Amino acid sequence: MKKIRCYLPNVLLTFLLVFVLIACEATILTSRIALNPMTFQVLTDQQHLDTKGYASLQTYFKTRSNSTGIPADVFLDPDSYSELDLRSGILQNTNAALAYMNGQTNEYAPSLEFTKLEDAVRKFFEDYADKNGYKKDDVLEEKIHSTCTEAESAIRNAADPFKFGTLYSNGVLTRVRSAVSYLSMAMIGSIAAAIIILILLILCNLKQMEHLCYWIGLAGFIAGGLMATPCIYLTVTDYYSGFAIKDPQIFSAVIGYLKLLTSRCLTMAIITAIVGFIGLMGFILLRATQREPDTK
Amino acid sequence: MAEKEKKGHAAVYILTALCMILLCTAAAGAALIVPYEKFKTYLDIAFMDDMKIAPSNGLSGLVIKENTEIATEAPADQKLSDTGEIKRPVFGEQYAVLDCKSASIHVPVYWGSSTELLDRGACQSSSSSVIGEKGNAVIDAHVNTFFANLNQIKAGDEIVLYTTYGIFTYKVRECVTFENTDKRYVLPTDTEQLTLYTCQAQVLGTSTTRIGVLCDVVSKQFYTGEEAAQ
Repeated sequence: MKKIRCYLPNVLLTFLLVFVLIACEATILTSRIALNPMTFQVLTDQQHLDTKGYASLQTYFKTRSNSTGIPADVFLDPDSYSELDLRSGILQNTNAALAYMNGQTNEYAPSLEFTKLEDAVRKFFEDYADKNGYKKDDVLEEKIHSTCTEAESAIRNAADPFKFGTLYSNGVLTRVRSAVSYLSMAMIGSIAAAIIILILLILCNLKQMEHLCYWIGLAGFIAGGLMATPCIYLTVTDYYSGFAIKDPQIFSAVIGYLKLLTSRCLTMAIITAIVGFIGLMGFILLRATQREPDTK
Repeated sequence: MAEKEKKGHAAVYILTALCMILLCTAAAGAALIVPYEKFKTYLDIAFMDDMKIAPSNGLSGLVIKENTEIATEAPADQKLSDTGEIKRPVFGEQYAVLDCKSASIHVPVYWGSSTELLDRGACQSSSSSVIGEKGNAVIDAHVNTFFANLNQIKAGDEIVLYTTYGIFTYKVRECVTFENTDKRYVLPTDTEQLTLYTCQAQVLGTSTTRIGVLCDVVSKQFYTGEEAAQ
């Protein structure tokens, strides 16, 4: 009777502990990795997003030169807009998006610097006008302004490989922001719940502490397995390579991010499962070295 | 007895573990059904590429077929006819050469329009009629490259299109200027005509204005006989 009285609460507490552990790991993964600026910085470098973006800008401006007569290197020159500038722009975009999602700012407003670019375009137009005897009037000013606007628009697009601008204008970032506002609470709540459950498990197994290893080990093993299974499926089937957008920069950015999250999640899941397995092995060893059991 | 008890306990622990695994898996599956159904459509659209093609830099799978065999005059022993078979080109194929002596235009014509093809020659819209077919054949090119002299063409000038299946001669009926939002000159027509257009040349910068020529067919000479079949 005593054993049945303890058995059912242990089963229930272990069942709850499995999902509390999953919730803990999910909140830690989200706050420490998914929404961490360092993650995006590492991704930008690993996936060479600046190089890929710059290459696509070169193709764009080279193609445009056929209809505008403005050579591509007016826009993409170390003195006007370099690859380093693009990298800085990408990081500014991601930092602005993360600051907005984390509630640090009230709107998503990355500020990219285009002073050098505008000066280079102005110089080109004025040199062309001087060389060909064109009047420097309002028409020329308007052309300079529209050329700069078009160029800046193309560069802003290349500096946003994760498409935060599009997500913001469609309201997705705002919804993420409202969910993220509960993240700290969720993390603290899940850690607190895990501690409470552990205390209750200890109380239920005071007289047979080796059973504590069994229940906690089982919870860890199942939690790790449940988290690892979808990660393994996504990795083995190469699910992310089916991403519909085949632009090299966007593809690398999005798939790189998803694969990084999946691999981190899998790592945490495997560690949890291993700790659970060690708990179960600990229980078996303790039972094996135990003396005569207590009478019923 | 003790041995039996031990085995009994072991069975309980193993069964408990298995039942817990099943219970937790069932609970996780049940909890995820609703969110999965909600997001399934978006996931299917976002990850719809079953072939998992890796992105390439630039061409995106475009196969460009040059055609150096297009003759710009009919061979002496070639039989010609007013009617014949049109060989429908594939996207990216150079299937014609456009010649206008009055404006010194002599350019290859590709079927389909893309950044890569516009770098190589004039492009015919794949939604327009094939040369020699009833309807509007629409060809465009960059003003700074292949159609730089389009503004020199006047009404009455002759334009010849040499294709893999025949020679088609047009006469310019009208020169037009229109905005890039005005689609009336590139729409399908009931009669056979040729439309050429490009951007209006600016000092620098982009232009929203287009210049074009509308041409009526004058003669159609399809290749017939063994050479045409080849």
